[in-house]
Amino acid sequence: MTTVLLIFGLLLLVLINVPIAVALGAVALIGMVMSKGLNSIYNAALTMFDGATNFPLLAIPLFILAGALMNTTSISRRLINLTSALIGFVRGGLAMVNVGVSMFFAEISGSAVADVAAIGSVLIPAMKKRNYTPELSAAVTSSSASIAIIIPPSIAMIIYGALSDTSIVQLFVAGIIPGVLGGFSMMGLCYWYAVRYDLPREEAFSLSRLWVAFKEAGWALTLPVIILGGIFGGIVTATEGAGLAVVAALFIGGFIYREINWKHLRKAMVEGVTQTAVVMLLVATSAVLGLHLTEMQVPQQFASWMMSFTSNKYMVLALLNVMLFVVGMFLHGAAAIILIVPIVMPLVHQIGINPIQFGLIMTLNIAIGQQTPPVASVLVTSCSIAKTDIWETTKVNIPFILVLVSVLLLVTYFPPVSLTLVNLFYG
Amino acid sequence: MVTRLKKWLERILEFISITLLISLAVIVVLAVVFRFLGQSLIWYDEVASVLLAWLTYYGSALAVCHRGHLGFPGLFLSLPKPLRGVAFIIAEVVVIGFFAVVGYAGWYLLGIFGEETLVSLDWVHLSFTQSVIPIGAVLFILAEALSMPEAWRKSMAGIDFEKEAIDQAIEEASQS
Repeated sequence: MTTVLLIFGLLLLVLINVPIAVALGAVALIGMVMSKGLNSIYNAALTMFDGATNFPLLAIPLFILAGALMNTTSISRRLINLTSALIGFVRGGLAMVNVGVSMFFAEISGSAVADVAAIGSVLIPAMKKRNYTPELSAAVTSSSASIAIIIPPSIAMIIYGALSDTSIVQLFVAGIIPGVLGGFSMMGLCYWYAVRYDLPREEAFSLSRLWVAFKEAGWALTLPVIILGGIFGGIVTATEGAGLAVVAALFIGGFIYREINWKHLRKAMVEGVTQTAVVMLLVATSAVLGLHLTEMQVPQQFASWMMSFTSNKYMVLALLNVMLFVVGMFLHGAAAIILIVPIVMPLVHQIGINPIQFGLIMTLNIAIGQQTPPVASVLVTSCSIAKTDIWETTKVNIPFILVLVSVLLLVTYFPPVSLTLVNLFYG
Repeated sequence: MVTRLKKWLERILEFISITLLISLAVIVVLAVVFRFLGQSLIWYDEVASVLLAWLTYYGSALAVCHRGHLGFPGLFLSLPKPLRGVAFIIAEVVVIGFFAVVGYAGWYLLGIFGEETLVSLDWVHLSFTQSVIPIGAVLFILAEALSMPEAWRKSMAGIDFEKEAIDQAIEEASQS
């Protein structure tokens, strides 16, 4: 099957609502049978098994489970109280609290929709009560939740790392500066909105209140410290860190906060297995497509095609960013990474782009994709909570998206932003 | 009848998937502990990878019960009703057809593996570990068939499964 037919078939199946994972597998299977004969179905079945045994991806179910366990406790309320005590006294403080909590939460849970539901259901009604417009409340919640996927631990980075043979730990380290930069820029934007629309301050700063909030949230904060400390310190791998995250979440939720019961546990585990399976089936079927594309030398053809336009590294990066942006608008994050990585990696290597830097570029594009309709699960979740129209919210959200775009451009054209810490620790 | 069967299938798949997830978590934690004790578990990588593959397929069938796999329902739901009905049927045929082929191929391969075993555990046969492909395919088809009536009803009513899942996440978050 030619590449054009393959893309056309894939588009057609996805548009009639065939699950993306099945659509990938089906077009690959048809393509393989047409080019290599009926016997290639056995190869496809073997690849579907091998594709699902990608060892680094083991971290996904464990991080999702740890996050789901923490989400069943009152962690969001504790983190909101702490961040509110820290920065609530500034004008527009509640919006900044929203951004700050997302940055904390990023280190605890792996699912952006679950995070935005947990944070948004508390903060959006509170913001509306304090005269923030529903659109601004939804926009702040939505954009700041997307910071979650560039601050470790990040499911998107785990998928990218596993599929591109890049160190997941180094990707995590690379995400720290861009994540913090994005978060603080969004807080600055919130302040600008607050001054412009005369939005209120929350309670005055009080050390005693901060101490009480810190004591309440302290255990929850030890989770990222222990896990990321272990991973960054080279004591455990990302997968082992994820395993420890589950133990720590069980300990904190079950024994310290005493908020996890069997019902919570079962729900968290069901959520963990289904979310994992959804991503892993995509990985497995895309392995079949990858096999077919490699046999047809599509990644190499794609590299030559792109190089025929320009061999300038920065121009290629610009073209890749446009492509990733468009794909991110129409596909969910995991699906976009799984589909794109095998096709573009030969080009990335050929043109001399650092794969860690490209991982950040990819993840940031996914973050932007979560904010750009028609497929924008995080934005849809915040709009549902705020009861606002997606397009009206998008108008208000544009400056926040521009912050994400600015961080993306910095990471793309100023590699030290993502690579300084990596070189410092692993250079 | 279909609803009850679907509920039963869901419960069985939940039990299997949760058992696999717990086993995975226990094995990973054990591996860390043993490594610190200076006695690394040689079978850890291989067994954990197989468990991940099993979790993928049993969990996938479970996700089908809620029609939870990622898709792009936007255009489909905006089609006129008769056309949407045709698209729905084609999509179901594609899904079931794909897993029927994969299931058959996976089942055929089990016979070929013969006495081959895992590298680190020579008493675990590959035909056992790889059995998840045909079994997973059958379970996927079963879950697809049992969830079809509800999916048809919702598709014809223009209800988006993804939107429903988001609403549920919001409801659960506001309750906790």
